[in-house]
Amino acid sequence: MTGLPGTVPHRRSGRGVEAAVPLDISGTGRGTAEAVRFLRECQGRALRVSWRATGTPGCDPGVLCHLPPPAELPADPGALAAWRAGHAHGVLHHRRGPDFVTVLDRRERGTAVRLTLDHPVLLATFLRLLEPTPVDALDAAEREALGLLCAERLVLAGGGWAVTLPPRIRQWPVPCTAI
Amino acid sequence: MRVHLVTMPWHPLDLPSLQLGLLNRIVRRARPGDEVRELHGSLRWAEFLLERSGGRLRPGDCVEVGSDAIFHGLGDWVFSGVLYDDPGWGVARLHEYAAGRGVFIGTALAMRPYAAAFVDACATEVLAAEPDLVGFTTTFMQNVPSLALARELKRRRPELTVVLGGSNCDGPMGHALHRNHPFVDHVVRGEAEYAVPALLHHLQAGTDPVDVPGLCWWDGTESRANTQTRRTVAPADIPSPDYGQWQAALDASPVREHIHPKLVVEGARGCWWGEKHHCTFCGLNGSAMAFRAKPGERLWAEIDRLVRRHRLLDVVTVDNIIDMAYFRDFLPRVVASGWDLRLHYEVKSNLTPAQLRLLGEAGAVHIQPGIESLGSRVLDLMAKGVTGARNVRTLRECENHALTCSWNLLYGFPGESADDYDSVVDQLPALVHLQPPSGAHRIQLERFSPHFTDPDLGFGKRRPAEMYQHVYDLPEDELADLVYLFDTEPAGISGPAERRLTEAVAAWRAGHADSRLLFEEDGTDLLVHDRRHGRPPATHRFTGWRAAALRHLEDGRTVPALHRLLAADGHEVPVPDLDAWVRQAFAGGLLFRDGVTFVALPTWGEPVRLPEGAG
Repeated sequence: MTGLPGTVPHRRSGRGVEAAVPLDISGTGRGTAEAVRFLRECQGRALRVSWRATGTPGCDPGVLCHLPPPAELPADPGALAAWRAGHAHGVLHHRRGPDFVTVLDRRERGTAVRLTLDHPVLLATFLRLLEPTPVDALDAAEREALGLLCAERLVLAGGGWAVTLPPRIRQWPVPCTAI
Repeated sequence: MRVHLVTMPWHPLDLPSLQLGLLNRIVRRARPGDEVRELHGSLRWAEFLLERSGGRLRPGDCVEVGSDAIFHGLGDWVFSGVLYDDPGWGVARLHEYAAGRGVFIGTALAMRPYAAAFVDACATEVLAAEPDLVGFTTTFMQNVPSLALARELKRRRPELTVVLGGSNCDGPMGHALHRNHPFVDHVVRGEAEYAVPALLHHLQAGTDPVDVPGLCWWDGTESRANTQTRRTVAPADIPSPDYGQWQAALDASPVREHIHPKLVVEGARGCWWGEKHHCTFCGLNGSAMAFRAKPGERLWAEIDRLVRRHRLLDVVTVDNIIDMAYFRDFLPRVVASGWDLRLHYEVKSNLTPAQLRLLGEAGAVHIQPGIESLGSRVLDLMAKGVTGARNVRTLRECENHALTCSWNLLYGFPGESADDYDSVVDQLPALVHLQPPSGAHRIQLERFSPHFTDPDLGFGKRRPAEMYQHVYDLPEDELADLVYLFDTEPAGISGPAERRLTEAVAAWRAGHADSRLLFEEDGTDLLVHDRRHGRPPATHRFTGWRAAALRHLEDGRTVPALHRLLAADGHEVPVPDLDAWVRQAFAGGLLFRDGVTFVALPTWGEPVRLPEGAG
């Protein structure tokens, strides 16, 4: 047991993880949602991830720059360079409180957006989508929440699937005040 | 009665005022019919500067002047011209002071022209609420801003009662503040929980407050100072702070988007170590050293309430030292909550690895262990109660548990010599993978410290720190009672030894980011990957008794003790062989040596390191 989602085959040794298969980040369905979840959980634990990407990001690559960048992104080398430049631990993360979640988003260089999700439906949808979920499975209120979360770039939706983007911070950096 | 509570600049912008939060509760608890309002003047000042300067003076500038420049008095100086009704007061003196010390004063100079209009606006705002009493809390550089507003309030409404309290008022400082500023009606010296309700009772009744311990009051034109009590406030009588008005002020403030607000809580007052052995340089606890802690269950209940109320997960504790009982009855509750809190705590340096792990699990990931030095003789001189070896272990465990460790390396203790530093400085390159100090700093003489109260400890000649010359228009004998910091003749190391230490610490800070010294298990073997700055990359393999020895040395051992431990493990190692191996490991920078004790330096954990303010 590695503590990581088993939907992506992987090997873990110490603080390193290697994805055993290329991950599709084209945003065309469940595969991308599972890839995002896997990378998100690795990032929350501050693991070093070795993975290869297939497809071209179906979204603005800046949306994913909080996730560990792939070793290569043959379809778009320019996007890979920007991904590497924008990536740092904690650039986008969430923290759990008693009946709320706080999100810090520094994906946009020079900005620090802090959000508190405490509306019950918004919060429940954010937490539910930590597991990749078919959009069809959401009720009307959850779909409205999905729209809001996508607008804030906190959820990635594509190909009928949706997944929450910010990892829960499980490993504070040193200094912890850097994020 | 209508009571207005005020905290002036330079209270940190990202924190609510614990003092106002407590006073609000104290007044309402004692006098439910009273109306209590608050002025969060530090926040107001940042808003004022932002607006009036057209965005040129920003909240970050307030941190530079109000927090970072604490040893140069810049924050007080910004308001001195208002207090003395002379915009040019102290300007030449400040320029002279700054030129002599290489201090940047540009931001303070840019702020000063706004100070008078700000004090004017604050007075208008406070008086609009028609208070009967205005109470100021003052600590660090809040004296002059508070006095400036107090003076203006009293000028406009002489019948108003003005009260000062807070850390700056403790002991003789409070009496000097009172007798030199006739527009201050009362100064509360010491804790407020019992004194403030008693004062309010006298004000209501129109009687002289002769029986309020520690209080300064005017008897005609004579400033009287009641004797301070030795009785401290019981933890059960310390209220839980109310930050409701701070939250409202913050929500309405354009400064909100510039800061990252945190909660402030208080678990304990005083210092349990200082009760037994007062660290010679420390004056932080003022006249109330007696350690008192709220039960962990109650502290957790307060945090639970505040987190739910304010939706904030960052918590700063003001305790000068953690109550060791909190490892049993507080921190486990934090862990059990499942919340992602981030706590800042001051602790003693001799915590066990298990205690440090619990801090990390509870989210107390920012600690201040009071390390101060890595040399045992200097630590003895300051009565710190730990050894250099122990401090190095603490630094290493901080890496193992990804704890951010804030510490300073202090020097300048009477009786220290270059010899006390040579062996430590020689070893600093081997510690480059551990978190460095913020710098090497010469100690200052603080009121209330043993160095201050006992001139025989080495600081016989002292005078108020030079910075106060550009802050207060008062004679030196009055300053001697009013201020907290003093200049002295330098003690301890100087010249080449001082330079060598400060340069070695600078090199540590410069080389830290990319330095690692990591253990890895390989079956029964032990690998050490050395990626420290200034050394060629290397991986060392330790087998058999050598691997066992290195593990034993994580706890810090002498060679004879290590020999006994290995023998107990079944390793029969000839003493000369063990001695030679220890010498070799020490020469390779894998061990720290403190006298006859050796400590293994490799870490098991590798925290994510980021530059401060990354992202």
